[in-house]
Parts: sequence; structure tokens; C-alpha cells
Amino acid sequence: MRKAIAASAAVIMLSIGAIAGAAEVKMVGTVQKIEMQGGAATVTLKDTKSGNEVKVTVKDDLTLDKFKDKRIVDGDEVRVKYDDGDGVVTIFRKTAGC
Amino acid sequence: MTKILFTGLVAGAVMASAAFAKDHPGREYMEKNGYKGPETCEVCHPGKAKEFLSTVHWTHASKVDNVENTDPAREYGMKNRIYTMCNGNDIVNNLKEIPKTPDAKGTKFSGCNTCHPGNHLSDVGSAGPEAEAAIDCLVCHSREYDHSKRKPFKDDQGRVVLGQDRSVKAALAIAKPTVKNCMTCHEAAGGGVLVKRGFAFTKENDVHAAKGMVCVDCHKAKNHKIPTGFDPNNWAHDGVRVACADCHTETPHKDAEYNRHTARIACQTCHVTRTGGSFAKDFTTWEKLSNGYYEPTTLRKDANETVPVYAWYDKTVANRPDFIGPKGSRSDKASRIYPFKVFQGKGFFDRKTGELLAMDFAPPMSNGDTLAGVASAAKILGIKQYDPVPGWQTVLFGSNHLVTKKNALTCNNCHAPNGVLRFKDLGYSDDEVKRLTSPELYLQKMAEKQREEW
Ligand code: HEC
Ligand code: HEC
Ligand code: HEC
Ligand code: HEC
Ligand code: HEC
Ligand code: HEC
Ligand code: HEC
Ligand code: HEC
Repeated sequence: MRKAIAASAAVIMLSIGAIAGAAEVKMVGTVQKIEMQGGAATVTLKDTKSGNEVKVTVKDDLTLDKFKDKRIVDGDEVRVKYDDGDGVVTIFRKTAGC
Repeated sequence: MTKILFTGLVAGAVMASAAFAKDHPGREYMEKNGYKGPETCEVCHPGKAKEFLSTVHWTHASKVDNVENTDPAREYGMKNRIYTMCNGNDIVNNLKEIPKTPDAKGTKFSGCNTCHPGNHLSDVGSAGPEAEAAIDCLVCHSREYDHSKRKPFKDDQGRVVLGQDRSVKAALAIAKPTVKNCMTCHEAAGGGVLVKRGFAFTKENDVHAAKGMVCVDCHKAKNHKIPTGFDPNNWAHDGVRVACADCHTETPHKDAEYNRHTARIACQTCHVTRTGGSFAKDFTTWEKLSNGYYEPTTLRKDANETVPVYAWYDKTVANRPDFIGPKGSRSDKASRIYPFKVFQGKGFFDRKTGELLAMDFAPPMSNGDTLAGVASAAKILGIKQYDPVPGWQTVLFGSNHLVTKKNALTCNNCHAPNGVLRFKDLGYSDDEVKRLTSPELYLQKMAEKQREEW
């Protein structure tokens, strides 16, 4: 059920994206799950502000490498910028104080 | 001549990466006998652990002789310095568990000395057999390091320990340090990824990275002494230095006009045109994060998103409560114009001495109380009387990576009236500025180049 809603939301977002030009979303979230698929990874994040779950796609090698050698693991808090059209991440970094 | 040097170097780089593929000769031994830490390496590399203990990477300090207001008999570094990029040091911000607040999510350990290749029980500057055994050789030498193991935890005696990956799997993947190994600590220096100087060593951002070069191709270490340069905010050094001209000479250009400029203008000025990271932080007011903990209010930009400031630099350093950065002037022939990343930080200063006060981050991290952080640090340092007043400090950081050829500064980038250099501030007279901002200097040359290109 939730999946279905999420899927239709994604479709609507996609079409809006196509009309309005994809917008960049900034978010701080906690990593829930990292699924590697060859040259990309699907990461489930929990938005710390809203509590909503969001799935994003990571394609850049530097970040993928950080998943592989476990620099970034489940439970880490990350600062993320992604395109709300295709969900592809442009920035994916651990938050850290001084 | 220079060409030959280059091809030699590149061939060297390629050969080195080919050597990675070849197994480390110690592999078979460790497959049989396992990995017990540095003692295993010492079977074939005797003396390496002891040697490492005297380097800046272990001591986080060294004597310095080019910084004003310092004592030549003392050592300085992350161990004991206080500036407003990170308003504390290894002593007051020794790794510890942060007191929990009611809405905190999860436990949090924090401390400057997490960026140290020890286990915290053997900490910054420690010595002796126990320290030797605690060195994390693999964090710099393994290509299969599991970073989830390099986390602080409490042992059964309640001591805070920094974990290490000492698995045989990691020990079987020994090689010369890769960019990733070095970036374990260098990427997040200054309080977060790319915060201090936007140091993104990637093929998009640096010509050397694009050619496949790694940190240690330039920072070639002998006996674990890693050469550094003269960043006015990186005082500690192992007594060895690296410079662009070591490989390129002072006259690397086909075009003589650029070569003429290198006497007064550093390579970085034309070749490192961008910087990034945080440009201002406020340590007197911390922001609450959604995880329940606080952090200093920080304005940040990505790598490459800000421009440097330019100043004369003679490789000696001004060190005052309101400013840490280059000294030098036009009239001093040893000075050149360099680019710097400019940062401004707000902290508490002692009204009586004018000195910047250190802050223990544990109190403000858990409840935002920054004066409690100052009080705790004062207690740790044995300072009894102080009167905290907020104030700003400007810090100029060296800008020595993110090297570009394509976007290197050319004639009009400096000599047009809207050029990047403020000639007047740099000590040129009105008449000189007029001449230095006239197309007379470059029109013919650039017109010729334009004709060639079209
Ligand atoms: C059984 C012997 C043996 C053991 C054990 C051993 N090594 Fe080596 N290692 C060698 C030999 C032989 C070489 C090649 C000659 C040289 O450079 O000294 C070498 C080379 C190296 C190099 C240079 C690699 C390069 O590509 O330039 C590093 C770094 C190194 N070892 C680190 C370590 C570390 C760290 C350990 C412990 C985890 C270790 N070694 C354990 C024998 C060993
Ligand atoms: C375990 C964390 C860590 C790792 C890994 C690490 N560094 Fe550092 N490095 C530091 C810290 C912390 C300092 C600053 C110490 C100070 O100035 O007090 C530093 C300082 C330096 C400096 C300036 C001072 C000096 O020693 O000359 C250079 C250059 C440097 N590192 C290069 C490297 C290179 C190259 C690598 C990879 C081979 C590397 N570092 C790996 C933590 C690390
Ligand atoms: C993520 C690793 C890391 C952490 C955590 C870290 N540092 Fe550093 N720090 C570095 C590195 C690497 C350098 C040297 C390279 C540079 O400046 O870019 C450095 C350099 C410094 C220097 C200059 C040292 C010198 O030789 O002059 C100071 C001061 C400093 N850090 C303060 C702090 C303080 C205070 C904290 C904790 C509040 C802290 N650092 C935490 C990695 C770290
Ligand atoms: C801060 C990172 C760092 C740590 C930690 C470190 N090394 Fe190194 N090591 C280097 C660098 C850099 C080089 C030089 C690579 C080059 O220039 O080819 C090097 C070179 C070596 C070499 C080959 C050259 C030589 O000097 O013989 C050996 C062997 C070695 N290290 C062993 C060790 C051992 C054993 C440990 C742990 C006790 C250790 N290293 C810890 C950075 C590190
Ligand atoms: C093309 C050569 C080259 C490469 C590759 C390189 N560096 Fe440097 N680095 C330099 C030079 C040159 C300086 C000093 C310049 C000066 O001060 O005049 C320097 C300075 C530094 C400093 C002192 C602080 C600063 O930024 O000035 C640190 C720390 C450092 N490098 C770390 C690294 C690390 C880590 C890597 C790999 C990610 C790396 N370097 C890759 C050439 C290089
Ligand atoms: C350890 C030697 C070394 C050091 C130190 C070094 N470089 Fe290089 N640099 C190289 C090599 C090797 C190349 C690749 C040359 C080639 O492919 O023709 C290169 C390439 C370049 C290029 C591009 C050349 C081209 O034609 O594409 C520029 C520009 C450059 N370096 C500037 C600098 C600057 C500025 C510094 C100091 C911050 C520096 N280098 C430090 C070795 C070095
Ligand atoms: C006044 C600005 C300026 C200074 C100073 C400068 N360069 Fe350059 N450099 C350039 C420009 C612009 C280019 C690109 C030329 C082109 O594409 O035709 C260049 C090209 C290069 C190249 C490629 C070879 C070539 O002739 O195209 C290298 C290598 C290089 N610079 C290294 C250095 C080093 C090392 C220093 C310091 C000793 C330095 N540069 C100082 C502006 C400068
Ligand atoms: C990074 C900025 C920068 C770039 C790029 C640059 N210049 Fe300059 N140029 C200067 C500065 C600064 C001086 C003054 C140096 C001094 O004090 O001796 C200067 C001096 C000169 C002079 C001598 C002027 C005089 O009357 O004393 C000439 C001619 C000149 N530049 C031409 C050029 C040309 C042609 C180019 C492009 C190929 C160029 N410059 C690129 C900064 C730059």
C-alpha cells in the first residue's frame, strides 16, 4: 500500500520535474539501507526533519566507494542534495561537527 | 629537458600503480601467521614502528621557526594550538563520550584525536613499546580497510578506545598509500567533509589527479617523514618540504611571459584559482541539529565555490589573536603573491590577555552552552582567571591543491581593471596601477593567440 503511494508520488514528481525542470532538494537524513547494484546504489534515507523515508540513487564513484569500504554505513547522518526528478544525488556527505 | 622529467614521472606513476596489482612480498607470511599488528610488519620491516612515533602524524606537533609569537623551544600543532577553524585542540577536546540530552538520538563520541593512527589508549605523542604496538599501519597501507571498525567505543574497563581494522583480509592488501588512505583524515579536517579548504582531490578538480597521480607521488615520504609546504596554518612539519618547482622548475612554460612572472607570483596564484569549504563559523552560538546534538554555526560552500584572497608571502607567519596568516611585502624580494583561502571565526577571547580561549566541545555539543565549554577547557588547561568576550579572528589558509591548467589565470584576469589582484593593496602606486591595468601590456599578445585559435 505504502509502496503504491510512493510509486505514484514518484510518477507525479517525475512529470512535474519534466515540466518545471527538475529541482534540487537539500536534506539531512539518516541512512536506513544501502543497496548496491553494479555502478549505482539505492539508498533509503530517513529525513530528520519530517521523518519521511526517501529513496535516492548514488552514482558517483567516490561515494560508492565509501559504501564499499564502510566509511558510510547504516545509521550515519548525511547531508544530501539530490534531483527530485530522478532522485540522483549530487552531494552525499556525512555530517560532522568540529 | 622539463619534458623528459615529466615523462619520467608519469612513467613512474604508472609503474607504481602496476606494482599495486603485484602482491606485497609479505602476503604469504601473513596468510600463514595472521596479522598481530605492527609486530607482524616488523618481522620484515624492523624499526618502522619506532620511526613512526617521532613523526607529526603521531605527535601532532613539532618545533616551528617561521611563526611569530611562538617559543622556539616548544612544539606546536593540533595537539595544543587554538584557532577559530576548530576552537580547541587534542588536549581540551580529547576523545570522549558526549553527555546525552533527552532528545539525543544515539550515543556520540567526539574528539580531535580521532584523526590519529593510534588506538587512543596510546594517544597523540605517546612513546614506548605499547605505543609502537598501537599504531594503525593499515589505515595508511591497506587497500581493503573496513572503516566501520575505526570507531570509538568503550572497553570493559570503561576506557574510550578508537577501533582499528586489524583483519588478515586488510593486512593482505598492503600497498603504498592511496588517495583514499590519506583522505581518511584529510578529507574531513576542519569539522566535516571538505570544510577546511574544499580539498577535493578528484580528476575534475585537479590536473594531477586527472593524470592518476596520488598524494605520495608529491608527498614522497622517507622514513615516514611526509614533506609539507608552507601553509601559514599548518605549522607542524617533519623537517621536509615539497614545492611545485621541485618537479616543474621555476620556468616550466613554453610561453616566456608566464615564466617572467614566476619571480614575483607563486605558481598557485595562477593555477589554483578557486577554493571552498567553510568561510565563517561562530563558536559562541551553536545550532541544534535534528539528531539532538549541537554544532558550531557554520557557513559552508562546496569545493571550488569561493575565490581566494591574494597576499605577499615570505613563508613567515603572522600570529595574533585577530589574525593568523602570511607576512611579506612587495619590497621584500623573497615575497611572492600567493592565493589564500580566507576564513573568519568567532570565539571567546580573554579580556585581560586578549588571547583566544579554547573550548571543550562536550558541553555545547550536548546542550549548546558554549561558556560551559570555555570553562571546562580552562579547567583542563589550569587557567583560573579569565573574562570571556566574543570576537572575530581572520585565518588565511594555504591553497595548494585543485591545480588547473585550463582555467589558469591569463593576462586579462589580472591586468584588466576588474582583475583578481588589488594592485593598490598589494603596494603598487597609482601610476603603476594605471600601467598594470592597461591593455597595452597584453593586447597584442592576446590578439595573436585569438587569431591562432580561430
Ligand atoms: C614476510 C615479510 C614481510 C612482512 C611480514 C611484511 N612485509 Fe612489507 N614488504 C616486504 C618486502 C620484501 C617488500 C619489498 C621490499 C621493500 O620495499 O622493502 C615489502 C614492501 C612493503 C611496502 C612498499 C610497497 C610498495 O608498493 O612500495 C610497504 C608499504 C610495506 N611493505 C608495508 C608492510 C606493512 C604495513 C606490513 C605489516 C602489515 C608488512 N609490510 C609486512 C616484506 C614483508
Ligand atoms: C589518521 C589520520 C591521518 C591520516 C591517515 C593521514 N593524515 Fe596527514 N595529517 C593528519 C593530521 C591530524 C595532521 C595535522 C597534524 C598537526 O599539524 O598537528 C596531518 C598533517 C599532514 C601534513 C602536514 C604535516 C606533515 O606531516 O608534513 C601532510 C603533508 C600530510 N598530513 C599528508 C598526509 C598524507 C600524504 C597521507 C597519506 C599517506 C596522510 N597525511 C594520512 C592526519 C592524518
Ligand atoms: C577528520 C580528521 C581531523 C579532526 C577530527 C580534527 N583535525 Fe585538525 N587537522 C586535521 C588535518 C588532516 C590537519 C592538517 C592538514 C590541514 O590543515 O589541512 C589538521 C590541522 C589542524 C591544525 C593545524 C596544526 C598545525 O600544525 O599548525 C589545528 C590547530 C587543528 N587541526 C585543530 C583541530 C581541532 C581543535 C580539532 C578538534 C576540535 C581538530 N583539529 C580535529 C585533521 C583533523
Ligand atoms: C600516516 C600514514 C602512515 C602510517 C600510519 C604508516 N605509514 Fe608506512 N608509509 C607511509 C608513507 C606515506 C610511505 C611512503 C610511500 C612512498 O612514498 O612510496 C610509507 C612507506 C612505508 C614502507 C616502505 C618504505 C620504507 O620506509 O621502508 C613501509 C615498509 C612502511 N611504510 C611500513 C609501515 C608500518 C609497519 C607502519 C605501522 C607501524 C606504517 N608504515 C604506518 C605512510 C604511513
Ligand atoms: C601535484 C603534487 C601534489 C599532490 C598530488 C598532492 N599534494 Fe599536497 N601539497 C603539494 C604541495 C606542493 C604543497 C605545499 C605547497 C606550498 O606550501 O608551497 C602541498 C601541501 C599539502 C598540505 C599542507 C596544507 C596545505 O594544503 O597547504 C597537506 C596537508 C597536503 N598537501 C596533503 C595532501 C594530500 C592528503 C594529498 C592527496 C589527497 C595531496 N596533498 C596531494 C603538492 C601535492
Ligand atoms: C612530484 C612532482 C610534481 C609536483 C610537486 C607538482 N607537479 Fe604539476 N605535474 C607533475 C606531473 C608529472 C604532471 C603531468 C605532466 C604531463 O602529463 O605532461 C603535472 C602536471 C601539471 C600541470 C598540467 C600540465 C599540462 O600540460 O597539462 C600543471 C598546470 C601543474 N602540474 C602545475 C603544478 C603546480 C601549480 C604545482 C604545485 C602546487 C605542481 N604542479 C606540483 C608533477 C608535479
Ligand atoms: C602569471 C600566471 C602564471 C604563473 C605565475 C604560473 N603559470 Fe603555469 N601556466 C599559466 C597559464 C595561463 C598556462 C596555460 C597556458 C596555455 O594553455 O597556453 C600555464 C601552463 C602551465 C603548464 C603547462 C605547460 C605550458 O607551457 O602550457 C605547467 C606545467 C605550468 N603552467 C606550471 C607552472 C608552475 C610550476 C608555476 C610556478 C613555477 C607556474 N606554472 C606559474 C599561468 C601561470
Ligand atoms: C596573477 C596575475 C597576473 C597574470 C595572470 C599576468 N600578470 Fe602580468 N603582472 C602581474 C603583476 C603582479 C605584475 C607586477 C610584478 C612586479 O611587481 O614586478 C605584472 C607585471 C607585468 C608586466 C610588467 C609591467 C611593468 O610595466 O612593470 C607585463 C608586461 C605583464 N605583466 C604582462 C602580462 C601578460 C602579457 C600576461 C599574460 C600572458 C600577464 N602579464 C599575466 C600579474 C599578472
